[in-house]
Amino acid sequence: MREAFSNALVRLALADPKVLLLTGDHGYALFDEFRKRCPDQYINAGIAEQNMVGMAAGLARVGFRPFVYGLAAFVPIRTVEQIKLDIAHDALPVVLLGDGAGFVYSHLGTSHQSTEDIACTRAIPGLEVLSPADRFEMTASMDYAYASNSPVYLRMGKSDLGDVHAGPVNALHAGALLKARAGRADRPGLIATGSMVRTAMDIAQDLDLAVWSAPLLKPLLAEEVCAAARETNGLVTLEEHSVLGGLGAAVTEITSEHQPTRVLRIGVPDRFSKHCGTYAYLLREHGLDTESVLEHVRVFCCTIASASDAAASK
Amino acid sequence: MTTLSPPRAKTGAEPRFAPARMRRTVLEMAYAGSTVHIACAFSIIELVTVLYRNHLRYPGNDPRAEGRDFMVLSKGHGVMAQYACMRELGWLDDSHIKGYFKDGSELKGLSDSRIRGLEVTSGSLGHGFSVGVGIAMGLQRKGTDQKVYAIVGDGELNEGPIWEGALVAAHHRMDNLMLIVDKNGFQAMGTTDDVLELGDLSAKFSSFGFETLEVDGHDEGAVDAAIRRLWAAGPGKPKALIARTVKGKGVPFMESDNRWHYTRLNAQTFAEAINALGLSGASK
Repeated sequence: MREAFSNALVRLALADPKVLLLTGDHGYALFDEFRKRCPDQYINAGIAEQNMVGMAAGLARVGFRPFVYGLAAFVPIRTVEQIKLDIAHDALPVVLLGDGAGFVYSHLGTSHQSTEDIACTRAIPGLEVLSPADRFEMTASMDYAYASNSPVYLRMGKSDLGDVHAGPVNALHAGALLKARAGRADRPGLIATGSMVRTAMDIAQDLDLAVWSAPLLKPLLAEEVCAAARETNGLVTLEEHSVLGGLGAAVTEITSEHQPTRVLRIGVPDRFSKHCGTYAYLLREHGLDTESVLEHVRVFCCTIASASDAAASK
Repeated sequence: MTTLSPPRAKTGAEPRFAPARMRRTVLEMAYAGSTVHIACAFSIIELVTVLYRNHLRYPGNDPRAEGRDFMVLSKGHGVMAQYACMRELGWLDDSHIKGYFKDGSELKGLSDSRIRGLEVTSGSLGHGFSVGVGIAMGLQRKGTDQKVYAIVGDGELNEGPIWEGALVAAHHRMDNLMLIVDKNGFQAMGTTDDVLELGDLSAKFSSFGFETLEVDGHDEGAVDAAIRRLWAAGPGKPKALIARTVKGKGVPFMESDNRWHYTRLNAQTFAEAINALGLSGASK
């Protein structure tokens, strides 16, 4: 997935000399290829993220296409105000790349973990939010970000979980949900994003559930979410992000208004990580490991089934 | 809803840019809109006068001309001084002045980049300078001779991104960038010395790698000369002009009285302030 990211960035930069990569002194090995092939388009802005994001706005003002890279804990979180005022307010074509989102830096603690970035960026007017699940979605997301010509936040989470899709996905369109698996219509459908799409696919096998991936969290089209809700019996959202303000919120904002549906939101509870440990350990701590998610969804399936039975017997 | 008229060149007359006229525009706006930050605008009147009259290039008198120089007002609180310049250039007309702060109007109380003639959305301090550094970097990469001027308040120097941007500007040898510090010695709640001591600003910016000059910010000739000297000196170095100014300059009862950061005009203080400028209130 990281190779897909690097390849896309190099390809875009070679095709358009206005593309610039700004990094806040992060991404050492990730940018080896970019630095080799596009050295003049590489700017290490130093450990100074606020200035870097403001500077990206200035560069965009005079015609450049900055891609601004940082850890999600810093870009966007440290620089939310610069993104809002300097970039989004003027709809400048700047792509913000937040790496290591979620619990990727599991051993480093709260400063490097990021489970609030989707919530913060979704609320900024005009800012699109991408969250690819595998290398195919990453390539499509980079193309979408470049082509959109407007401010974009691209969230990069755990990147070594394997593919979700069998091959390249079609060009993304605004609000697209990608169906990754068909499943039973009398059971809940799963809508997942980023790293949790892989988890959704794994548990869907056991329960024969339909799965959609949401590489684009904003805009998210009401028609696509409603169609998923109509095809299934209830919905489950899965994300390596707070249960507040992320994918679960985006889906329920739509269903509550357009397609009243029982929705189970699975994500990070409203608290910080307590302990240090591996990525897998932290997922368990937050109830996001495959076994916990499977159990959670299994109970929800039963709840939905008995609600359906009760409705049928009335 | 008022909308900005398309920019038009003044016919038959050069832009006038007399500081007293500009201060009157500020007073007229502040009175019409019953708004604050008068003193913040008054301290930079001569600075913007010299910049707009002698230095800033707007091909075709177009505020969005691609080849323009960039006037970045990082201390957005002084925006009425910039509106006064825009009026002199014919980018604003009397309806904008009289309609200031009316419901549905366009000109805001702080700098807003969506307004033709303003480059940044500032007022949240420490933003505009970084955007200016980015513009300067972009122009440098394009190899144009366009210049970027960024006016920051001395109080604004409390903000960290200013110093991040200063490091970057020097590292990248941005000799197309001039930082202008409006050193009026005050910030919202007191003097800069009392709130957060800034020390020797010339020494600080020199040590950051800037070509630096200090000047009386109300002496138009001295400001003009200093700007020319800075551009001529120190190739490869960003410039810093430390302008010693008086907050509220031009109206004696406002000068160095920090209440005029937040005080609104009433009919009496408006009349007194206009009189103090030594212009006839009726003539234009």
